[in-house]
Formats: sequence, structure tokens, C-alpha cells
Amino acid sequence: MASFTPYTYIQCPCHDTTTTTTTTSQSRPAEDAPSPTSPHSSDDDDDDHNFDPRAPRSNYSLYPLEYLLWCDVCHQIRCPRCVAEELVTIYCPNCLFEVASSSLKTEGNRCTRSCFQCPICIGPLAVQSLESAPEPSLLSADNANTATTPAGPWILSCSYCNWNSSEIGVKFDKPQGIFAQLQKLRHGEDSHSKHAVGGDTSPTKTDSVAATMKARFSAMRSFYSAQNAIANPSSGLGDYGFSSPGALSRIMSIYSGNNAGSHKQKSKGTMTREADSASEGFRALDLDDSSAVSQLRRDGWDSTVIGDQAKSQVEEGARFAEELWPIPYLLRTKRSKRCPVCRHIISKPESKVANTRFRMRLVANTTIPSISIKPFNPPPALLKPLQPVQYLLTFRNPLFDEVKVTLATPATTPGRFASRVTVLCPQFQMDPSTESGMYLVDDALKDDNKDIQGRRRRGTEGGTHQAEAGKIWERGHNWVTIVVEVVPASLSLEAPPALLRKEGEPEPDLSPLKEDEDVLEIPMFVRLEWEGDVSHDQMSTSTGKEKDAREKKELAYWCTIGIGRISQE
Amino acid sequence: MSRKQVKGEYIETDTGNKVARKAILIGTQHIMLGGKTVIQAEAMIRGDLARTAQVPSSSGAAPGSNTAVAIGRYCFLSKGCCLRPPGRIYKGSFTYLPLRLGDHVFIGEGTVVQAATVGSHVHIGQKVVVGEFAIIKDYVRVLDGSVIPANMVIPSFSIVAGQPARIVGEVPEGGHEAFELRELYKSVGNNPQPLPV
Repeated sequence: MASFTPYTYIQCPCHDTTTTTTTTSQSRPAEDAPSPTSPHSSDDDDDDHNFDPRAPRSNYSLYPLEYLLWCDVCHQIRCPRCVAEELVTIYCPNCLFEVASSSLKTEGNRCTRSCFQCPICIGPLAVQSLESAPEPSLLSADNANTATTPAGPWILSCSYCNWNSSEIGVKFDKPQGIFAQLQKLRHGEDSHSKHAVGGDTSPTKTDSVAATMKARFSAMRSFYSAQNAIANPSSGLGDYGFSSPGALSRIMSIYSGNNAGSHKQKSKGTMTREADSASEGFRALDLDDSSAVSQLRRDGWDSTVIGDQAKSQVEEGARFAEELWPIPYLLRTKRSKRCPVCRHIISKPESKVANTRFRMRLVANTTIPSISIKPFNPPPALLKPLQPVQYLLTFRNPLFDEVKVTLATPATTPGRFASRVTVLCPQFQMDPSTESGMYLVDDALKDDNKDIQGRRRRGTEGGTHQAEAGKIWERGHNWVTIVVEVVPASLSLEAPPALLRKEGEPEPDLSPLKEDEDVLEIPMFVRLEWEGDVSHDQMSTSTGKEKDAREKKELAYWCTIGIGRISQE
Repeated sequence: MSRKQVKGEYIETDTGNKVARKAILIGTQHIMLGGKTVIQAEAMIRGDLARTAQVPSSSGAAPGSNTAVAIGRYCFLSKGCCLRPPGRIYKGSFTYLPLRLGDHVFIGEGTVVQAATVGSHVHIGQKVVVGEFAIIKDYVRVLDGSVIPANMVIPSFSIVAGQPARIVGEVPEGGHEAFELRELYKSVGNNPQPLPV
């Protein structure tokens, strides 16, 4: 059993279908979301249903705190799934050169400089001169005695797995412009010259590769758009193509059928014919696998590709290792993020590739307290069923205001194995955070003293180290530790005696333990209340209604706390 | 006072570096520490692998500039890690080239770093191998057990794992503060302070 690290996942409000449907409309009713203007709305809705972290849908809305963003205007959590992303910069992850979005359209989403990945191990490939290559295997008898000045044929070689492009017979005349050279070797006229090593063993490759996917696609597209134009010249589909929204809506109206009568019959146009020649992009599938079979017989499994290698290729269909080509690096992006509801930007990186600063970065952990979990006693490897364990939850306040926290958990965890949960101190106040990040030294000293005093006080008052109901366990300058007691459920699957079962009760689920069903997860509802500055946030887009200096703020959300695994006994 | 300092596990310098007495520093004249850097026991820095070939560029002008390993501020070198400058054949002869670490770089236990450059705010886990002339940009997290191939470039905000390493994820916006090593710096030394909760 692997070690288990406790975790806290926080639920983004986008899980709620009532709010997600309203995200499309700009002006949603104020009752839907807890906002500063409607402080008492959301908890009323949420009170009547419990959150089940094991529900299949919950996976999509639970995030660790650092993944969550924060919309200042909506006053709500936003997750990576619900924000709208916009490309800021496109760049190659290897050479870190920026790629203009216009060249992206013509050249594709891969780096066209000399950045390649090894087709075997995906390590980076480096251009090397064949002459001065240190590998003795590459140095044949005739070029071993040449000078060390790098010259002559160049290859791409992988320093991780020692693959090099001469294995597929690819050598370059000059070390610059590898992408263009490779493109030419692969698709150009001189494609037959490259397989000096491969010999006659791969006829499928040399014949079929000439007609590349791209060329075939464009041929086929031009053929079918011509056919479309012939078939229904009046419909306008031929004019606009399928990419135009007008044409699309026309198609949709055809298929939706509600106004089929109003349109004239289009289906009985002239018959279109299918592509049937190579110039139209047609290619008959080569069903003669005898050469592949003979190659497989000769070279064995080692010559075939594995799934990952075939998938990472630019063009599909590679079956043997010698059909693997160097992979140009996929481009990467920097993206800004918008709130899905109010369309305000909540995260925007600097556009330069090398610059790691953000113009705007509204993250949830500047508002929401972080929750860390520690076992009260030295942690056992697994939780013993039916034996109470205590855990310390530490809440740390990132805000500059005092925050009142109210916690609520269901008495038993949802799911087949109901563990009992008791929060010993469900209501407490957290002192404000003084300095974000680095706080002052004397502050830290004070903090330490307070800690010591707190410990002493507890020692004299309680006498024993026993958690008390309704009392905070420990308190620091902006954090509070409380105790949660858990009685893990037994994971034994025994049907309750038939006598005890009531009429009409569903059959108990006695299927074997599912994946991670032994993890004890506590759903917890957290409600924060604080009086905050309206305008102390970075975004000063506050409208007229938020002119007041102080304002009561409230936030409520569900989170799930993973405590540990229950032992199966 | 001085008696007590002798007994301490770490030597604390004026610039705030905390170097364990059991750290293995070779060729110290070629090692530059930016300050507030922690070097734990059995961590090895190969300063002796300095540039051997004469480079005609401007860097040769200043005396003593033949730095093999340059480390920024608030770096943390865990037990048993090794910083080793990368070497290659340059203009016909073999030479080592400097290894540069930015600020707030954490290097896990048993990790070997032979990178050319490691940016700022980088977390390298345990038992990682960073190949020669790899370039790691800012805000990168390398997970435990990764093997970064030689010459690999890892762009900013990447999470990297695997053998060979590949980019498996992106550092989220809220995760930038987790790279700060100031608190960790305070938690080690001759009179360590406990980490904040």
C-alpha cells in the first residue's frame, strides 16, 4: 500500500447546473450566486443537499486550492474548467521562439525551426556531424580518418537513447534548416534516395508516402467542394464552404426538420460522385500485407513500434521502427483567463516568452483559507476500522481582515462505507494576516510566544492532551487549528440479516471494493464571513454601488478532505 | 560563543549561507554562492571542473571569473545531491562550462544536476538526474525520479516527470508561492526555527 498524503480539494461553483446555465447570459439573477450584494442567498440553496465527493460528477469540479482562480467582480471561485482561455503567446518549448498566430495557420502547430524529438524516447534531438561523431559505430572505415572539422552529412541524434536519424536513412547536407530538409526528404521528389539502408524491404513506405496526408486532404477537399458546387449550386454551400456560420445554420435548419416544408427539396439534386483517382485524393488501401509480414518475421517484435511511439508521430500509420520520423516539437502557449460570468480577465501573463511575470493574477488562495491536515497522534499506516482517530485541521487566513469560519460536515460520510465525522469546533474566528508572504521578525517572535503560552494554557487547563468540544485547539497570528474526530467505517461487505431488512428497501450493494473506495473523504461545507475593504483588491472596476469603505462579505463552498485509507480487515 | 559555533552542524557565513560541515565542496575558488543558500551534509559541488579551454570572449577579462558553479540566493541543496558542471568538446578540445542556478532553487536528495542553467523558483525532486546542458527555466517543478535528457529545454511553468522526462503539466497560477524557499531557509541551520503551519 502506497503512502497516503492527506489532501483538500475545493469545489468550484461551476458544478451547479443552475449556475452554469446562467453563465452564458451576462445578467444572471442575483439569487443564483453568493455575491456581496446578496449575502444570504446561496447557503439557503445549499442547505438542503449534501455534497458527495464520490459522485462521478464531483471529479470535474474538485480542485486543489492552488489551481483555483478568483473573480473579484463576481466574488466567486473559478476553476480551470470553467474559465475562458485566450491565447496570449504561442512559442516553441524547445527554442523558446515566439510563433506568430498567422504562421500557425499556414505552418501548423509544430516548431518549424530545428527542434525535434526522438521518435523512440521523445528526448530532444541534436544536430551532429556524422564525421566527428564520437560514437565509434557511426565511424565507418572510410571516414574515420578524416579531419575533426565538422563537415559532411549531418544527422539528428538523441543523447538519451542513442537513436540517430541515419537509422531511418536520413542525413542532411547542412546543419541549418533541418525542418525544411526533413520535409523535403519525407515528402519531396527525392524520397526514394533516402532509403539506402532500408533496401527493398519497405515498398509500402516509398510508394505511399509520396502522397502525403496533407496533399491528399487538399486534393480531396478541392474535389468534394467542386462536387458540392455542382450538386447544389443554389444552396450557397459551395460558395461559403462549411466553415461559414451562415452555411452551417442552413445545414442545421435542414437537419432540424422543423421548417423542412419551407425549404425546397434539396436532397434530390444531381448525384455527386466519389473520388476515384489519385489526383482527387483517392488511395486504395494496400491489402497486401505480405511484405509487412515478412519483415516482421525477419526482424521480430523489436522492429515494431509501441503505441506511444506511433501516437506521438505527426502522421499516423507507422508500424515499424524504421517508419518513425523525428517529431517536430509541438508548440506551447501562454494563456490568459477570463471569468465565464462577467468576462473580466482574472489571469493574464506577460506576453514575452522569457518573462514569467503576470499582469494580472487573481488566485483563490489570496482569499480562501488554506486547510492543512495533520494526524493528532503519529500516523498509522492505515486507519483501523471503528477506532476513533483525531486529526488536526489548520486553517490559515490569507486576508487582511478577521474572518469568521463556520464548518459543517454530514454526520456520516456518503457512500457505501459511512464513516462518522465530528468537527469538535465548527465555528471560530481567524485573525487577519499581517504581511503576505514574509512577515516581520518581531511578529514571528510574538507568534512564537503566543504559541508557547497557548500550549501552556492548554496544559494547565485541560490537564491531559484531550481535545475539547467547542474549543479551538491552537491559534496563531493568522491561523487556527481545530480537531476533527473520525470513526472509520468497516470495509467488510456482509449483507445485513434478512430479518432486519425492511420491505421495499433496495438490495444492498455487495460488489467488491472499488478503486479508492477505501479512502476516507470528508465532505465539508465552509462558510466565511468577513468585513472587507471594497476597493483594496487589485481590480478597481467597482461600480457605484460599492463605494462604501467597509462591506460585509461572505463566501461559502464545499470542499473534500482526504484523510487516509481504511485498512481492509 | 565561538566554542558553540564550532560544534554547530552548519557554518553560517556573513552573507547568510549555511553550509554543512559534512558538505563536500571541491574547488571552492570556482564556486559562487549568492547568499542565504543552504548546503546540507554530503552535498557535493564540483567546483574543480572549471573551464579549461581559454575562451577569448569578454568573460576572460576579469580575474577569478572562471566560475564553475554559480548559485543564487535562497537555494537549498539537500543531502547527497551533486552539482557538476557539464563538459563537451569545444573547438577541438574538451572543456567544462559553468553551471548556473538562479534564486529559490530546491534540489532534492540524491539528485545529480549537470544542467547549463537552472532558472529561479525551480523545485527539483529526489533522485533526479538533470542531463548535461539541460536548460531549466523559471517556475519549473521536476518530480521525483525524473531523468532529464541532455540538451533538453524546459520552459517556464512546466511540471516535468518521467524517464526520459517529459512535460506532464503546468504549474497553476496559485502555485507560484510554493516555490519560495525563505521559510525553508529559516528552518535549517544551527538554531533552526520551526516551519510555519
